[in-house]
This record gives sequence, structure tokens and C-alpha cells, in this order.
Amino acid sequence: MIRYFVRRLTALIPVALGVVTLTFALIHLVPGDPVVAMLGDYAAPADVQEMRHALGLDRPLWRQYVAFLYGLTHGDLGESISQREPVSRLIRERYPATVELAVAGLAAAILIAFPLGLVAGADPGGPGDVGAMGFAILGISVPHLYLGPLLMIVFSLDLGWLPLTGRGGFSHLILPALTLGAALAAILARMLRQSLVEVSDADYMRTARAKGLSRPRALISHGLRNALTPVVTLLGLEAGALLTGSIVTEIIFSWPGLGRLMIAAINNRDYPLVQGCVLVFALSYVAVNLATDLLYSAIDPRVRLSR
Amino acid sequence: MRTERRFFRTGAVAAISLAAILVAGCAKTKPQTPAGYLQIDINTSPANLDPRVATDAISARIGELAYQSLVRVGRDGAFVGELAEKIERPAPDAIVFHLRHGVRFSDGRPLDARDVLYTYASLLDPENHSVKRAGLAEMASLEAIDNYTLRMTTRRPYAAALEMALLGIVPRGTPLAARDAIAAPPGSGPFKVVAFERDEALTLTRNPYYPAPSGALGGIVMKVAPDATVRALELTEGICQFAENDAIQPELIAYLSRQPKLRLIRSNGTTYQYLIFNFRDARLRDPRVRRAIAYGIDRQAIVTALLRGNARLATGMLAPENWAYNGGVLNYAYDPARARALLEAAGYSRTRPLRLTYKTTTEGRRLAEAIQAMLRRVGVAITIRTSEFATFYSDLRAGNFDLAASQWVGVSDPHQYSLIFDSRMTPQGGGNNRGDYANPEMDRLLRAGDAELDPAARRAIYARVQQIAAADLPYVSLWWIDNVAAYDRRLDGFEPFPNGSLLSLAAARWFPSAAAAGAARP
Repeated sequence: MIRYFVRRLTALIPVALGVVTLTFALIHLVPGDPVVAMLGDYAAPADVQEMRHALGLDRPLWRQYVAFLYGLTHGDLGESISQREPVSRLIRERYPATVELAVAGLAAAILIAFPLGLVAGADPGGPGDVGAMGFAILGISVPHLYLGPLLMIVFSLDLGWLPLTGRGGFSHLILPALTLGAALAAILARMLRQSLVEVSDADYMRTARAKGLSRPRALISHGLRNALTPVVTLLGLEAGALLTGSIVTEIIFSWPGLGRLMIAAINNRDYPLVQGCVLVFALSYVAVNLATDLLYSAIDPRVRLSR
Repeated sequence: MRTERRFFRTGAVAAISLAAILVAGCAKTKPQTPAGYLQIDINTSPANLDPRVATDAISARIGELAYQSLVRVGRDGAFVGELAEKIERPAPDAIVFHLRHGVRFSDGRPLDARDVLYTYASLLDPENHSVKRAGLAEMASLEAIDNYTLRMTTRRPYAAALEMALLGIVPRGTPLAARDAIAAPPGSGPFKVVAFERDEALTLTRNPYYPAPSGALGGIVMKVAPDATVRALELTEGICQFAENDAIQPELIAYLSRQPKLRLIRSNGTTYQYLIFNFRDARLRDPRVRRAIAYGIDRQAIVTALLRGNARLATGMLAPENWAYNGGVLNYAYDPARARALLEAAGYSRTRPLRLTYKTTTEGRRLAEAIQAMLRRVGVAITIRTSEFATFYSDLRAGNFDLAASQWVGVSDPHQYSLIFDSRMTPQGGGNNRGDYANPEMDRLLRAGDAELDPAARRAIYARVQQIAAADLPYVSLWWIDNVAAYDRRLDGFEPFPNGSLLSLAAARWFPSAAAAGAARP
């Protein structure tokens, strides 16, 4: 177990290096110049040159790359070009908001998906199934851009139950979480239903029914757990996507997260800030996947981590 | 059964810890707009509030509320004294500013010539890498004659010298780019910045040392709301009570004007949108081709259909409000027949259409498609390339386009013409002549205009400049975008300003009943 953990953590290093290198190469390949973007229309060429020098942007690319890597090994992500502040601080300010939103979105997705999936899987083809799966299709099809304002109009403006935008207490989290989690909830519910239908024919289910358990009881006690493995796999993959895919939701709900910071950084060609954001996103993604693997063994002891 | 119980126990622990994370994350409560304040929704966060380094539009707008400069831009684009109560020009290359007495910064310190000197010196200090340094290139010296008199000299007789007096003044000793301080330095404007959370909100309260009329706004909260629909919803619900220009999408104007609680006002704006030709392209060096393109675009149709009427057809860069405006120039009303004839004469025909690459930003896509369709009808085939702003801007500066759409915002002094049409002022030469346009007469006039100090003589020079620009067509003038503001009907005293300035809010107030209710929000 510990050896497995250490091995997985060691594997993070090449992943981080790969991400950093790729991001570095791509952002420098795109046309656009951070100094010109910052100085604007009226800058004198000498000032542009001087600024570029002060920021170290006139050095050969490989030297900038080596300097960046060197800083990284010392935990230094550099300084944002457009905001003149340490990248690590800017990210630290935003990261909690993004994680909060992603976790809430995940929670919302699970809370919606499990009842729907269970209802649908318990009686395939029945009215519950048709209703739940219809709802799920709706969840997948409605884009964030539309669902967000729709939820705002209903729950915030018309009913006045929840605040419209911004980050604050628990009530501020509900609408963005629903918006973010709706699509995932739909996918999860469908996956759970399918999985439940499959396990319901298994021998152990027949045994459970033969022992006298009712169908719903057998499904929850014996079927659900066996049906969970594919659902958790999906959850692991999609949870990372929630983290990185929250940008639209962040914009709609004026949520001060990392996604908005990164978009602004890309627009300003703020190289260090883009690199920092991508690195954090990538590492988060890897961490979520690691957590998923650990979760497997908790759900299904037949899964051995060392293998 | 044992494993089953453990399984559910694990689930319960997971659920509880999830809830704990959520609750922990929610410990922070959202700041409310205080009673008597005005909430303005803005679309992007200001980048930097220190007037010595701030260049983005929203920072400049906030800067006008918090800082004062020696002069500011008046309604007609001319400069009027702000901190300077009297301005003299004792010599062609010298200006003397007499400062107002009794002005104080928001921390109580009196403002005098030493603060002005300090602000300029810290901006010019090479160590500080201020992006605004280039704007002071024509300044030779700035010295204090006494505590309330300053003398600025320029390197040559320079008509637009007062542009260099637009810098917001900060108290002497204020370090630049204090890397840990997000809040802004004190200023002497009507408001002071008291809180700023990037990408969330900025709070301004009254500067206690700036005289306020009775019942005036207690302060302003600028809230960053990046989504246009959400801004409109917040206005409708009274959560936000004011938004203008970039914060209002043209498509939503009709919706907002139907809201009984809102007042929607349009006023003439000075933002100038244009198409630029690249003279490096042999086809576009032919004036007949440029004119054909100008005649081939139905600008009125685009204004009506796409901009919902929120623009005036432009004759040139300077809007009619500007003191140097000349409307007596060649105008290109939509005339497809004439466009076709001009193209034919230039050697293009329907069988051999002119092919051009048109560059624009992603926001300008629909506009580009309308122009593409119109020009196709006269025999000009256009390929549209859209890119996000940094890429577009880089192409524009590198001359990597045939035809491009762009705009000038905040034009005041006609000196701006030198930066865009003087043949020396290419991006490499420190200017914005991006299409490589060159006309010796234009160059001569622009240099004369920069050196001419007599306003009447100067106006005559720029009248001619505007005529040549319209005839030569380095740009196709499209339109001047209107200023649009939507705000709570209970707000009294907001006066729109051609360049979009919010300065009139310093004297605005809530109607008495509204103030009593504390700008009642739902």
C-alpha cells in the first residue's frame, strides 16, 4: 500500500515536467507579446525593449525554460507579468474557490445521480426508469450557459430563495453547484442504471432473492456495491474535468476561481501565470485520479492496489 | 454482513467529511453593498489601481473618481484645469500651472507642488518600469517655482503638451508597485478606494476632504460580473443600480429599456470604429479600390440591424463634439453601383474578384460577416480571420493583414492623428501607423499641427487633415459608438460624458425617499 502510494507520487514528477514543458512550448508558440499587450498602443519601442529585458523575455527561450524549471524546483512559480505579483500568491487566492465549486458540483452530481440511477435500475423499462432517464437526458443536453441563468431566474429572482451570484455562504454555492453538476449527474445516473441492470442477473443476486430479500433490498445491499466500480471510474475521470471545466460556471456566477484567472492570463499572454495555472490544474487532476484508485479498494476488496 | 456495514460506514464518513469541507469553505460571508451606496456592475476587474501604472480602461475610469490630475479632458476633448486653477504658456515650449489651494488627499495630507513633482519623478524613474513613461517623452523638465506653482518645459513647441498633465497625483513618498499592497494609494478625487478584491469587487467611499453636496452618494461598489445576462438580471432586480457601455450588450438594450425601474439613456460617444487598409498590399494602394470598398459597405444597415441603432455614422476619427471636428469631408454613402464601377476601372471585375483577408477579434465576427456579404455583392471576396485579442493585436502591429477592423477609444486631442497617419509613426517607430500609409502633405500638416500653439490656426490645420484622411482613405470610417447607461430611476444627477467618464457620480444622489430606504434592495 505505502509502496504503491510512493510509486504513484513519484510518477507525478514526469507528469508535472511534461505538462510544464508542453505549456511552456505552446504559450510561446502562439503569436502575441505580453509586453505589447500590457504597454498598449502608446509605448515607445525603447520602453518595450527595456521592459522585455527587465522581465527576462529577451533571453533565448531555452534559458527562460531552464530558469523557470530552476524556480519550480525551489517552489517559485515566478511573477505574473500583468499583475506584478507572485504567481503562487495569485493561485493561492483562487484555488480554494475553484476546489469549493468542484467539490460542491461533485456532491450535487452524486446527490442527484444516485436516487435517479437507483429508481431507474430497480425497474428497467418501468415508469420510474423512463422518467429518471428522461430527466438525465435533459441534464446532459442543457448547456451551462443556459442552465445557469435559468436557475438564477427561477430560484433567485422569482422565488428569492438563493443569492444570484458571487462567493459567500452555503446558499451561494447551491446554484453554481447544480449548474456544474447537472451534466455529470446525468452521466452518472445512466451509468449506475446500466450497471445495476447488469448485476441484477448475477448469481449472488439470485441467491439474495432466494434467501428471501425483497428486490429493492437485494439491489441496495448486494447489487449497488458491485455496480459501483464503473461508476467510480467515471466519477474519477469526470471529477478532474469538473475542476478544469468550471470556467463557464465561474463566469456566469461571477465566481472568483482559477478558471477566470487563467483565461485572463491567456489573453494577456502572461506566460508565468498561465504555466502556473495549468500546472496546478494538471496536478489536481492527477491527485483526483489517485484518490479514485484508492477508492476502488475501499469499495471492492478484490481490487489490489499493488498490482 | 460485516463488510456491508463497513461499506456504509465508509460512505457515511465520506459524506460527513464532504459536508465539512463545504461548510469550511463557506465560512466567508459575502460583503453587502452598504446603504446609500451605488452598486455598479463592471465586466472585467481593474488590473492595477495606481495611476502611475494603470493603463486598462476600467482602471482609468476608477482613477478619475479617486485621483485628480493637473488637467482633465473636457466635454469637447479640450483640456481643462483640475488641480491647476490657472494655466499659462509664457513661451512656446513652457507651461506654468498654478495649483488650487486647500486640496487634500483622502488621508488628510495637503496636496502641493512637491506631490506633483514626486508623482512625475517616480513615474520617470527607470527602476519603476512604468508603462506610461513613453507618454512623457516630449517633456524636457518639470520644476516647482513655489509650493503652488509648477513649470513644465517641452523639447520643442508642442501643442498637445497638456496630454502630459493628465497623470493622477499621489502623495509624495508613495512607493510604486508595492507588491504586497493591492489597495490603491490615496488620491485627492471625490472618492477613495477602501477595499479591492480582484475579480470580485472594489469599494469606494467618499474622500472626507473633498466637498460633497448634501445627500450625495456615500460611496460606490463596483462589482465584477463577467456575464452580460447576469448583469442585466442584476440591474432588473435592483441588486446593481448602474451599468454602462461595455457592461451592456446591445442585444439586451431593448430588454432593459422595458424595465419600469430602470432609466436607459443613450448619448453621443467618441469611440471610433474603422476598417484599416494595408498599403503594403499593391491592390490596396490603388485609391479606387479603397473607395470601392468604402462605397460597398452599407454602414447604416449594419448600425440599424447589428448595433440596434446605437451608433452614429462617422466622418473621421474626431467626433462632432471635438473642438477640432470638421464634418465637411468626402462622405461615402452606400453606392454598390459606384463601387462596382470603381473596381472595374481598377482592373477587377466580377469574373476576377478581389480577394482580401479581413482580420477581426472574436467579438467582431458578426460585423465581419455582414461586411463580407456586402462586399461580395460588389465583387470583393473576403476571407474572415478571427482571433482572440492578443493574437489579433500582434498581427495588427506586425502588418499581418489586408483589411482589419479596430477602434480608437478616448480620443481627445487631434494630436492622435500624428500617431496613426504620420508615415514615420509605424509600430516600429513608436506609433500606430499600422497600414504603412504615407502622404507627404499629411506628414507636413501633422508636424505643423503638433507645433502650432494657436487654437484657431491649429483647428484649420486639422480641418485639412480630416479632409485628406477622408479622401485618401487609409481608414474606412465606420461609426462612433453611442454611450449607453442603464440605472435605477431613483438615482439623480448622473450626466453622461462623451468619453464615458463617471465623474458626474461625485455629485449624484439618491432621491430623498430612496436615500431614506437605504437604496432599498430586495
